[in-house]
Amino acid sequence: MSVVSNILPYAVAVWLFGAGLYGIATSRNLIHLVGCLGVCQSATYVLLLGLGYRWGSIAPIFYDHPPGTPAVDPVMQALVLTDIVVGATLTALLLVLTIQVYKRSGSLDPEKLRPMRARQGSDRAEGSDRGHDGKRTVL
Amino acid sequence: MTLGPSALLPLPVAIPLVFCAVMLATAHLLPGRLPDILATLAALSVAILSGMIAVHAADGPLVYWFGGWEPRDGVHLGIGFGVDAASGWIAAFIGVLYVLTFIFAWGFFDRTHGHFHILMLLFLAAMIGFCFTRDMFNLFVWFEVMSVAAFALTAYHLEKSALSGAINFTVINSLAGFLMLGGIGLIYAQTGSLDFEGIASAVGRGGRDPVVAGAFCLVATALMIKGAIVPFQFWLADAHAVAPSPVSVIFSGAMVSLGLFGLAKVSAVVFAGSDQVQHALPTLLEGLGSITAILGGWMALLQRHMKRMLAFSTISHAGIMLTALGALSPAGTGGMLVYVVGHGLVKGALFMIAGILLATRASIDEIALRGLGRGIGPAGFAMTLAGLLLCGLPIGVLDQGTRLVQGALWHQERWIALAAGAIGAGLTGAAVLRATGRIFLGLGPDPGDEGGAPSEDEREKANRPLWVMLGPCCVLLAFDVGLPASLIANATPEAASAFMHQPSVSAKAEGPAWLPWISVALALAGAGYGLFRTRLPKLVIRPLRATQSVPTRALELLHSGLIGDYAAWLAIGVALIASILAVS
Repeated sequence: MSVVSNILPYAVAVWLFGAGLYGIATSRNLIHLVGCLGVCQSATYVLLLGLGYRWGSIAPIFYDHPPGTPAVDPVMQALVLTDIVVGATLTALLLVLTIQVYKRSGSLDPEKLRPMRARQGSDRAEGSDRGHDGKRTVL
Repeated sequence: MTLGPSALLPLPVAIPLVFCAVMLATAHLLPGRLPDILATLAALSVAILSGMIAVHAADGPLVYWFGGWEPRDGVHLGIGFGVDAASGWIAAFIGVLYVLTFIFAWGFFDRTHGHFHILMLLFLAAMIGFCFTRDMFNLFVWFEVMSVAAFALTAYHLEKSALSGAINFTVINSLAGFLMLGGIGLIYAQTGSLDFEGIASAVGRGGRDPVVAGAFCLVATALMIKGAIVPFQFWLADAHAVAPSPVSVIFSGAMVSLGLFGLAKVSAVVFAGSDQVQHALPTLLEGLGSITAILGGWMALLQRHMKRMLAFSTISHAGIMLTALGALSPAGTGGMLVYVVGHGLVKGALFMIAGILLATRASIDEIALRGLGRGIGPAGFAMTLAGLLLCGLPIGVLDQGTRLVQGALWHQERWIALAAGAIGAGLTGAAVLRATGRIFLGLGPDPGDEGGAPSEDEREKANRPLWVMLGPCCVLLAFDVGLPASLIANATPEAASAFMHQPSVSAKAEGPAWLPWISVALALAGAGYGLFRTRLPKLVIRPLRATQSVPTRALELLHSGLIGDYAAWLAIGVALIASILAVS
């Protein structure tokens, strides 16, 4: 087929992955973030289906076709199926975590949920340094 | 199919999965400590079986085709396990680590209905499968099973910091999974095979091919994310610091190094025929590895949260392992495999000590714990020994691995990687020894009643006898120190050659004997500076403080804890790896 239809699936896959990654990088809401992760994953679906597709061939079911009829690659479709299962697991797990986060902190903004950060804002994390600074301010 | 030793191959994966299923079905009926016993037994059987497999595999790799789908006419339709001696021993090591972790976690959770053990066994099965498989897609499946079990285990406590750490971990590692799957799709489209050997022969025939390089870029990125290599390392510190201590033992001891183990296998076996990839690898692995080793060590030195400090030290050691891979020789890879085991033993012991402090002293903050360790002296001894081993004290398995790695790098005259490794090991040792001095000897300036730890108050179940927790930790250290060096020295060259599918080479040179001592000296100096800096003359301190503060602030800013920043760094990292591959 034409160059465009050969390139198109890959271009779409790259675009989807980039868009999803941009969404994750800028997200201010965990549910939105889970959605963006889903967009990234759709990139893999498109890529795999695009790689396995053969123009002018049938689905790989030979019930009413003679064996040897050109068919699309069934291995890729199996990969996509597994990928969908993985995606469902991840989305479910992340949404469970999101619910638990909301229950405990009342917020879905990743900015407010940083793990292991000092409560005193931008204080240096090392204690011995702070001990020293503390003494200096007392003097 | 004849019943030879090959028939053993599925068992180390199947046994934990069967235990999982049975325990899940009967979770509410199992009395008291039965889940602990069952899980320990399952892990023990995995360790023994893997050891048997490794012994058999010394004569030649064992292969098992599921359902008897053996390859015909060079076409690999079936999925197979292929185990060489090195993979077998790594699996046996993982089994041992799990046994000791289950003993350490005895009675750790009150009312779990065995869910902790079920997840851990699933995690174990995935790790063994990851070691054994010889099929790209199967590798991905185990990678994902490993990840999902790890995500759930990180968030096990369902506390605020555990949850946000787990979300960061999940998102970044899911992206790793997607990248890996994309890479696998590309390589399958190009070579028409998913079997390691099938892909390798097709890649060897193909010549220079951008699709193969692209596939390698994606798969390598995914495995480096698992292996916490800069700039993908951010998730690790968040996840390891908040996971329950027994889980952290497995994370740092086995999961991270398994990512690099996978990278070693994929680059040595699957992409061996691609000149483009093999040309790019030394620069790529050594550059990233050196940066990782130093950055991890530096960050470890800045932490007061002990588990976070240990997490950064794991990052540093992952960097050292990566530089060893960059040597692209059986000597380097053999050293890396020994290093994986040695590091796992020592780091596992250190995380157990952190767990002991968390359980008996109800804190994980180095400053708050100052002097509180006096009642548990044996733990202090163990921690001192582990800290010294970590920075390169010349005894034990970790040291043997270090020497092999340094020897391989030395003979290829890769001075930057050598220096980075020695400095990284020294810095992590300094961090551990400083914490030991402060906690168990009460050294260092008294901070007074200053601000709390950088996380919410953590506790782990306290009413467990000390020996249950300290015992496994000491066994780990005893393994590291006590495994006969000649045994490893004899087995490593052949195992490494079989692992890399290369003809066996005999003489294996070790690095210079003085190099590990530099790391030890650096560690002692670093720890001493951390503890006694107030007593040093101002003339010494001022320039040191000045050089410290700016890069330190920058590093602290980088490790923002924001998932968005991590995703941006991931994109930059992929672009970097792709560009290195493109120009070679």
